Amino acid sequence: MKPIRLTVNGKPVSAVVEPRQHLGDFLREHLLLTATHLGCEQGVCGACTVLVDGVPVRSCIVYAVACDGADVRTLEGLEEDEVVTQLRAAMSRHHGLQCGFCTPGMMMTARDIVTRLPDADEKRVREELSGNLCRCTGYVGIVDAIRDVQEQRKSRRGAP
Amino acid sequence: MSDSARADDGHAGSPTKQGVGARLERKEDDRLLRGRGQYVGDIRLPGMREVAFVRSPVAHAVVGRIDIPDGRRSDVFVGRDLADVEPILCVAGLPGFKAASQPVLAVDRVLHVGMAVAMCVGDTRAQAEDLAEALAVDYRELDVVHDVRKAREPGATLLHGSWGDNLLLTSDLVVGDVDAVARSAPVSVELELRTARQCMSPMEGRGVLAAWDSRMDQLVVHTSSQVPHLVRAGLARFLGLEEGRIRVIAPDVGGGFGYKSILAPEEVCIAWLAMKLRHPVRWLEDRREQLTAGANCREHHYRIRAHADRAGRLLAFDVEADVDSGAYSVYPFTGALEAGQLPSMLPGPYDFGSYRCRSRAVVTNKVPIVPYRGVARPGACIALELTIDAIARAVGREPYAVRLDNLVPPQAMPFDNITGKHFDGGDYPASVRRAVDAIDLAGVRVRQARGESDGRLIGAGFAFFNEQGSVGTSAYAKWGLPLCPGHEQAKVRLMPDGMLEVAVGIQSHGQGLETSLAQIAHEVLGVPVDRIRVVHGDTALTPYSIGTWGSRSMVMGGGAVARACRALAGRLARIGAHALGVPEGAVRVRGGEVATGDGRAVTIDEVARLWYLRPQELPPDVDPGGLEVTGGYRAARDSGTFSYATHAVVVAIDPETGQVEILDYAIDEDAGVCVNPMIVEGQIVGGTVQGIGTALYEEMAFSEEGQPLASTFLDYILPGATEVPPMRLAHVETPSPYTEFGVKGIGESGAIGSPAAILNAINDALKPLGAVIAECPATPRRVLAAIDEARNRAGRPV
Repeated sequence: MKPIRLTVNGKPVSAVVEPRQHLGDFLREHLLLTATHLGCEQGVCGACTVLVDGVPVRSCIVYAVACDGADVRTLEGLEEDEVVTQLRAAMSRHHGLQCGFCTPGMMMTARDIVTRLPDADEKRVREELSGNLCRCTGYVGIVDAIRDVQEQRKSRRGAP
Repeated sequence: MSDSARADDGHAGSPTKQGVGARLERKEDDRLLRGRGQYVGDIRLPGMREVAFVRSPVAHAVVGRIDIPDGRRSDVFVGRDLADVEPILCVAGLPGFKAASQPVLAVDRVLHVGMAVAMCVGDTRAQAEDLAEALAVDYRELDVVHDVRKAREPGATLLHGSWGDNLLLTSDLVVGDVDAVARSAPVSVELELRTARQCMSPMEGRGVLAAWDSRMDQLVVHTSSQVPHLVRAGLARFLGLEEGRIRVIAPDVGGGFGYKSILAPEEVCIAWLAMKLRHPVRWLEDRREQLTAGANCREHHYRIRAHADRAGRLLAFDVEADVDSGAYSVYPFTGALEAGQLPSMLPGPYDFGSYRCRSRAVVTNKVPIVPYRGVARPGACIALELTIDAIARAVGREPYAVRLDNLVPPQAMPFDNITGKHFDGGDYPASVRRAVDAIDLAGVRVRQARGESDGRLIGAGFAFFNEQGSVGTSAYAKWGLPLCPGHEQAKVRLMPDGMLEVAVGIQSHGQGLETSLAQIAHEVLGVPVDRIRVVHGDTALTPYSIGTWGSRSMVMGGGAVARACRALAGRLARIGAHALGVPEGAVRVRGGEVATGDGRAVTIDEVARLWYLRPQELPPDVDPGGLEVTGGYRAARDSGTFSYATHAVVVAIDPETGQVEILDYAIDEDAGVCVNPMIVEGQIVGGTVQGIGTALYEEMAFSEEGQPLASTFLDYILPGATEVPPMRLAHVETPSPYTEFGVKGIGESGAIGSPAAILNAINDALKPLGAVIAECPATPRRVLAAIDEARNRAGRPV
């Protein structure tokens, strides 16, 4: 067992964890932050994506002990985030979710695309999304939602 | 979605834009978008411990000694510990059906890789897994039957010794004299086709959390299920409990597609364990378990002879079909469902005179098959639609034109086909013609003649199908299964403040039923959708239902909600008329009010207050049942709705690498009246993308030892965002004459037509090389093999 101290959703957290515990399990089982979903635990499906020091990572293949000192943000910690707020509305408008299981990971990746690549075209958006699997929607509504938010932000940026 | 032909407004007759036909955003979205959904894995109960299963690493063996680490015997449970649990036994009443019991934990033999042998309990999932790893199980391996051909060889190892063979069911259907037609037909084609075994792979796997509620004297099972009431029935039967002492809750469910439409052995195990240990226990399937122990669908083999005239008019269709059913029969559908459906399904939407089908459900040392979105239909569509294209090639005509000549014409509707299916309406040829235009087939032909500068080959392909959805009593009764769709029920109740609660026994796991059923209630009563709560997924709170599968929920559940709301409207009308001082016949319920023709009205909220708070003002003949009503529904004709569609695809193939790229995809669809067109489109597109997976990517290969050869999403490939082409969808709307509002079942549709359309497009592209793909997924390796084979056949150097 190993002590760690980190920041989760803006709050300091200290815990003693097994070295083998991955960040996803730590968030879900220790902190009861269940927005982060575990879809494969193989680092492929992207459902468990969270932000570590501002960068999207798959929490199922990052050890909690490796996050000692890190700033971790889950979907629960982005309720008031401006981009996530826009994405929520756009995802609903474009029917970008059905069962909702991949959705939290999609939201994290979508936020990253919108903020890091504001001008990405559809092809690039799809490439950036390729690390997040969805079995329900066929991705159409998700891609449309991201493009919609990109456009909203672009037109606001361009406004006088 | 730009081509949607439907107007983006309310249905005619709906006073607001929330009723049938409205493209309403979903009520369930907000909680899911905030990560506040509640899936089984998100639920923790005090004192809960976790379970890991030890699963067989071999496909066929006698289970010997199981060594359990010292001091841990009380945390390990093996088959003989569950002696009071009956093995799962699911029997169909079909002639010749053979039954086999499936122990929920192996007792003496294992019949497939991944079969559960022991369950291990730990404080955490990791500790339970540690214990599972520490068990040593002795397996004495037996000969493995890894495919249907081997299973049917004389002298093949028998999975179930008393059967005498490996045939779970043989189902024959003969109409007309196929042999006589074959002798005289000018054109005959032969095909041998194969579809791969797949993993349905909902993003959330199975999960079960069981606990004994001593206050209610009841077993409470949270499970990720499409069919909570059927799970309760199965648990009652195999655990020997009364149904009233079991409550099954399917909370938020992360996708189903059929994977969660059965009673899983693990559900029985975990429920038993909770009763045994008297504390909550939970098992969460991991992805490796889901892929290796859950590769349970789609594997069909077809041998086809078809006979036609010189124009390609189909004269006779002669099919032998083998379905790889795996080792046992799942509850409640059995392993015979697909093979049993194929004979009546294979003629599809075409009108022809002679037909013969021999279909077999064959047992092998693989996971028992479970009905996956479309069930046998995607395979049947591949068999039929690849045959139509083969006939078109043989007679030198456009495949779409051959389809037009063979389809049931609109003037013949409604139409009873060669196997007695009752097509409920529509214009099939018009759909094909629109799809031909949608992908600009003429343009594709010009482009093919010109050739591509990058050397790729272009091809266009079509598939037309109709989907029998929401099949009812008359069709299911003859199967003699542990379920039969009868009247579907919904319970509605008006609260004292006028809020409406709608409870249904079907289960929503992505279909948006919390929204579309509220739209139906709104259509009838006019209560605003945000004042309607839809309750589902809990046997304690909802009427019995066989659940959500078979494209039935909107027809049956929606119909039941409409009936219940109308019955409630009648009670509201009597109270409202009395309050208005007019005869009951002078009022109507609409727009959230009980109103007279001349504009006087009381609101439904006010009627609720009268019933609950001022009963002294109620009419003397008020219905004492009050403002809670259970309504039941069965379609006027329950032979099923027939949505239909044409899928049209353009592909490009690199003949050097075998890579297939989808360049264009158009769907022309008649889903009847769409309660929420946005949700319908989402179902069609999502299903189509699963079909793209079937056509091009998804395959669980098995070694000759019966070993599944993929165990992660890196080697079992689901379509990602980059694999999905731009898609255009056009709706037409032929209301079903037999259902409430004219709705038709549509949930499975997309997955049915896409594999056949894509394979036909590939074969169209390969036509100049004389190569044909007859197997899916059409991986680069298979495309190259088909090209090589054609070149070898032509005697040219490879």
